[in-house]
Amino acid sequence: MNPFQLDVDGLEKKARSIRRKIIRLNADSPAGGHTGADLSQVEIVTSLYFRLLNCAPDRVSDDTRDIYIQSKGHAAGGYYCCLAEAGYFPEEWLPTYQHNDSHLPGHPVRQKTPGVELNTGALGHGLPVAVGLALAAKRDGSSRKVYVLTGDGELAEGSNWEAALVAAHYKLDNLIVINDKNKLQLAGPTVSIMKTDPLDKKWQAFGFSVTQCDGNNVASIVETLEGLRAEGQPNVVIANTTKGAGVSFIAGRPEWHHRVPKGEEVELALKELADV
Amino acid sequence: MSNSEHFANIMVQCFIEAVNNGVDLVPVVADSTSTAKIKPFIEAFPDRLVNVGIAEQVMVGTAAGLALAGKVAVTCNAAPFLISRSNEQVKVDVCYNNTNVKLFGLNSGASYGPLASTHHSIDDISVMRGFGNIKIFAPSCPIECKQIIEYAIAEQGPVYIRMDGKALPQLHSVDYNFVAGEPSLLRNGKRVVICAMGSVVHEAVDAADILKSQGIEAAVVNVSSIRPLNRCALANMLDGTKHVVSVEEHNINGGLGSVVAEVMAEQGMTAKLVRLGVQDGCYAAAGNRPYTRKMLSIDSAGIVNVCQQLVNQTSA
Repeated sequence: MNPFQLDVDGLEKKARSIRRKIIRLNADSPAGGHTGADLSQVEIVTSLYFRLLNCAPDRVSDDTRDIYIQSKGHAAGGYYCCLAEAGYFPEEWLPTYQHNDSHLPGHPVRQKTPGVELNTGALGHGLPVAVGLALAAKRDGSSRKVYVLTGDGELAEGSNWEAALVAAHYKLDNLIVINDKNKLQLAGPTVSIMKTDPLDKKWQAFGFSVTQCDGNNVASIVETLEGLRAEGQPNVVIANTTKGAGVSFIAGRPEWHHRVPKGEEVELALKELADV
Repeated sequence: MSNSEHFANIMVQCFIEAVNNGVDLVPVVADSTSTAKIKPFIEAFPDRLVNVGIAEQVMVGTAAGLALAGKVAVTCNAAPFLISRSNEQVKVDVCYNNTNVKLFGLNSGASYGPLASTHHSIDDISVMRGFGNIKIFAPSCPIECKQIIEYAIAEQGPVYIRMDGKALPQLHSVDYNFVAGEPSLLRNGKRVVICAMGSVVHEAVDAADILKSQGIEAAVVNVSSIRPLNRCALANMLDGTKHVVSVEEHNINGGLGSVVAEVMAEQGMTAKLVRLGVQDGCYAAAGNRPYTRKMLSIDSAGIVNVCQQLVNQTSA
């Protein structure tokens, strides 16, 4: 059971709080950050950690807990802010993001950060490992669900599609892949770098049950994820998002892939993200 | 020889015994059921093996996931594809994540002979040595192979086992007791010390026996445990000789030859070292095992020649 079980209003409030943390965390980082990617996934991880995941800070080693894998490891900053908000580690750790020997390195490291399930950062690794976890749960008769969040640019990595074959072959209906489709990657728009569309048809052809949602709208995410009913098929949810969502001068701007807010930008962003 | 055994058969029997003993062991293969000779396991446990198809990356990633869920995941496929195709999965999903995965590199070295370099793994030890925490073993004979596999299954964390592809006879006696990290001395002698790894230990032993008949006492050190390695124990076995020869069906860079060179240099040893194996910048020849080994001077005759030259140089 999720210890928070927040409603839509509560989730929206949490999402704003997490966004404010993301702005401060990246501003304090001595080594840059991935602000755009951190912000695009906020509603997704918030909905998972504050409503959907059968997991809690005091159950990080419980064999029956649901698993969340942050395959887009470069958005570690956003992931950390969500974990801190949910109480997996002290919020005082957040200003140490990417500092020397920090609990919070630039990509997730499970040996360093409570709540992190898998060391990622090289793209295309989350889904194959999630397949192994989901397969083990099936065989053990466990009710565990395995969620994995990928980017959309990340889907160019072929290992994802190897894993997709295996997930469908072994009928892993306890696996939920969420594509954070923010349409931008390091070098520019995903559609011009390496287009993945029609993404829904690709997943369908690989044997997945495909749904789409507004990935920056908690109501849409919750309704979609709680409505998954596929039996004998793995799930994919294409979450249509905006990179940098929530801050007007970051949203949809490719230069914020690896930029962090500085000086006046921090205050402007926090002002936009204030609770009304 | 009548007591020769295929390492893969030993591996499969170890898997069956482990499951019978209550170990939640799951083999993961990439269409490599025949390579792994794993039919007896499938017959004993029809629903246990996972076959991901011809896809090494997801084979290793899936194994890591199974291990994170509490299984002892063992991957079984041809060493060249395991090492090269799924290199980053081995590095990240297995080593960096410290998952309880045992990687079996089947038909390693130039076992596949005439199938040529796509099918040779002459870099597996050097690649694995470049990764952090993974333990690395290269058994030389059936008794040792069985003990290494049993050790690996019982051990928590990543292990790579370099498995030769041909049936091999025993080298160690029945009372042999494998201890991780410890090299084993198979022949005594101080004129020259031959260090060997894996299936070519047999060539080294044959060479030592030939040399002995010629009045040259040659030691043979079997280095089956590459990581961990008791470097002091190896240094002690090298102490007092003026000539050291390393032998491996592997590239001399990063493999056993490098290990021996490191230990000698670190100990300040002044003996001359000759590293036999696939030489710098080269591939193994495409041919059968006798031909390939002859080309590399890692057959018994080649090792004898090198040892004779070394000894004669200092005698002259």
